Amino acid sequence: MDMTESPPPQPANSSPITTAAADAADDPLSSPYVSLNSHCHELSTLQDLACRGAWRTILDKVARSRSLSLLSKPHEHLIYLTFNLLSLIKLRRYSDAQQELQTLDDDLDSKQYLFESYPDHYPNQKAGSMVPFALRWLHAHLPLTLGDRQLSSIAFTPSCISSAIKSCPKIKEFKVCLALLKAEISKNEDPLLVSQLGYVQMQYGDLDGAKRSFEAVEKMVVGSESGDVRLKNLVSRNKALMYLVEKDYISAVREYEECMERDELDFVAINNKAICLMYLRDLSDSIKVLESALERVPTVALNETLVVNLCSMYELAYVNHADVKKTLSTWIARVAPDDFDTSCTRI
Amino acid sequence: MSGGGGGVAQQSAHSLAFRVMRLCRPSLHVNTSPLKFDPCDLLFGEDLFDDPIAASHLPRLLSSQSNPSSVDPSDPSYRSRFLLQHPTDSLGLPGLLVLPQSFGYMHIHTCSIFNNALDNVLVEAEIQTERQRILLLDTSKSPVESIRASGRYDFIVEHDVKELGAHTLVCTALYTDGDIERKYLPQFFKFVVSNPISVRTKVRNVKDITLLEACIENHTKSNLYMDQVEFEPAQHWSATVLKAADHSSEHNLLTRETFKEPILIRSGGGIYNYLYQLKFSSPDNAQLKVEGSKILGKLQITWRTNLGEPGRLQTQHILGNPITRKEIELHAVEIPPVIILEKSFLVSLNLINLTERVLGPFEVWLSESDSLDERAVMINGLQTTTLGEVQAFSSLKLQLNLIAIKHGIQKITGITVFDTIEKKTYDSLLEMERLISILYFEVGLFCGATNANLIFCKITSYQMGLRMFSGPWIHLWTTVKDATRRVPLYGRVSIL
Repeated sequence: MDMTESPPPQPANSSPITTAAADAADDPLSSPYVSLNSHCHELSTLQDLACRGAWRTILDKVARSRSLSLLSKPHEHLIYLTFNLLSLIKLRRYSDAQQELQTLDDDLDSKQYLFESYPDHYPNQKAGSMVPFALRWLHAHLPLTLGDRQLSSIAFTPSCISSAIKSCPKIKEFKVCLALLKAEISKNEDPLLVSQLGYVQMQYGDLDGAKRSFEAVEKMVVGSESGDVRLKNLVSRNKALMYLVEKDYISAVREYEECMERDELDFVAINNKAICLMYLRDLSDSIKVLESALERVPTVALNETLVVNLCSMYELAYVNHADVKKTLSTWIARVAPDDFDTSCTRI
Repeated sequence: MSGGGGGVAQQSAHSLAFRVMRLCRPSLHVNTSPLKFDPCDLLFGEDLFDDPIAASHLPRLLSSQSNPSSVDPSDPSYRSRFLLQHPTDSLGLPGLLVLPQSFGYMHIHTCSIFNNALDNVLVEAEIQTERQRILLLDTSKSPVESIRASGRYDFIVEHDVKELGAHTLVCTALYTDGDIERKYLPQFFKFVVSNPISVRTKVRNVKDITLLEACIENHTKSNLYMDQVEFEPAQHWSATVLKAADHSSEHNLLTRETFKEPILIRSGGGIYNYLYQLKFSSPDNAQLKVEGSKILGKLQITWRTNLGEPGRLQTQHILGNPITRKEIELHAVEIPPVIILEKSFLVSLNLINLTERVLGPFEVWLSESDSLDERAVMINGLQTTTLGEVQAFSSLKLQLNLIAIKHGIQKITGITVFDTIEKKTYDSLLEMERLISILYFEVGLFCGATNANLIFCKITSYQMGLRMFSGPWIHLWTTVKDATRRVPLYGRVSIL
């Protein structure tokens, strides 16, 4: 989504109400849009906590706000509910999330979620739904997580389609996944999207297809004026995967090192480089790469997959791997966000 | 971050241990629930941006959140676990590799447990199955000179698994530690090999074409990408694979090039069928044709799983149905459209000699079925008809005078042709099914005419039925047409 879109021009014959609303919006004392907090009680704190991964704190805050009746407007309740629901799902407390969902009306389009149903609260507000889209998405997503495979119908936006696509490998409906990806790509040729098509093809074994996808991505990136390091790294990482598949681990390592020189926060390159080192029988160095990344850039490198890989390497490298893993696990407990899945250490 | 492997008291007497890890290809991690959101979707009602006033103010409020690439590594923020940087992030496919968590290649190494250095280490690795022992590694010619305290010696062995059942990987080391005597450490790693796929074949002959249907079932836990499934025909056989026509029309050049419909067989019981058309072609030798046609060929199957991990299987010889090449054929040329019960009728047949030699003379009769009750049609007159010689690749007509003794839909069957010279009997050459009518009827429509020249009548359809208790009936539909109109007439005629 383009954040910096310019505001739409005001219509020439704007009604008196909208002019009044515009004035109200500009008035720093009464405008709901001065800051995030003026839009919703302590919203910037919630946002900040979410960015830090402090989901348990969010649960506490929501509970407190509710018990002290700090929320005055209907849309605030909805936003808090959304954060609560998201926190519970992030913490994998699915039955609690289910209960939270049940406090909502099943029909998110019902009148109680529309601005116009509360004229006293929203005198100048344009009619519409106050449901945050994320809530709608979670409402549809939770039954899926709980094992109910019927996808409820939701309005399709690119991120929705992405989510529908990513749930497919889990159900192992590769063909549906591919069809959805294909449809998206034909609408919008995005190098990231085509790369992911390449990853899907590579994962199920179509190496020729993956190669063609990566070549298409390279053409797209080289074509545009590419100052963008992230796209350059994407092309390099794709190349490295092709080397890896051909068992040319040395070339793969070289590509990943170039990525890390361009962007030291490229944790995909870091993780994959370590794996290549392992296949080169250099177990000590592969462990070093992952450990140093965790020390240097923990908020970027601390990732369940990287930890799984590191623990696999520990199990191979040390007879007494339990000790090493315990040290790692203690460190993780200090540093990790609330939603980090600690089962990845397999202790 | 340091991890110590040594310094822990061990119960075992050995200073050395083997660690084994299977090194099949890694997988690409799929994050099934990334749960990342665009802040707009979380902080604001979904329709809020439709409001022009809101739309003008809100982007400003989000500008500080919207640029995650300016992350400061010292900032303890895990915003990338929460915020969408790009819509495709929700796909959960970052291109991150995960090590295999179950069996494949074997990456083996020895770990020194104690503080002593180990000298003159001889390592051996062997696979044992029920039937054989295969040596994978033997360092006896170039032993590892020493492994330092808490050190490691790594090696990778590769083995193509061809047998089914229980396998044992035996790793042994012969070494010297602080003591004088050599120590011997064997370690055993057991695993079971089972069939990844099963292939079922069906062979059908249609005239001179043989169709082979192969059904492949996947018993593994991964989806299989079928790389190549090829039928290698045996000598004198040729094969073409029959595929459904590809009706997809790709308008987009990019998707057309990068996107080919893959053949994927689902894990845990998925199946896929292949169909081959086989033709037998050889120099004219009837003997060879009958015997040599039994073995059709073999199927060569290669598939791939994660990141192109290859698998291969070759089937046993696939056997076909023995082909007996037809020597003669019998065709019905003319049969009366209506056959009346107990009224004789003539059937014209054509006997075709498919061989390159003269066949005959023949005798033709209707074979008796097991009981007289079953026979519906008999020959009227002489029970055996004689037919002269038929030249090579030529034909001869004959007529049979038949009579039906049962009504209803009956089979005219049992026509038997006997070659009096070669003493060969051909039955089951021809079978026909016909309706034997009880009565032939004429229906006349008598109409009172107002205008003498204006009546046309045509029976457009009739239906014959049988009713259990009150005899058969016939329905008639017809139209009577005059200059101005068509009038439908409907009548029912009962027949006793």
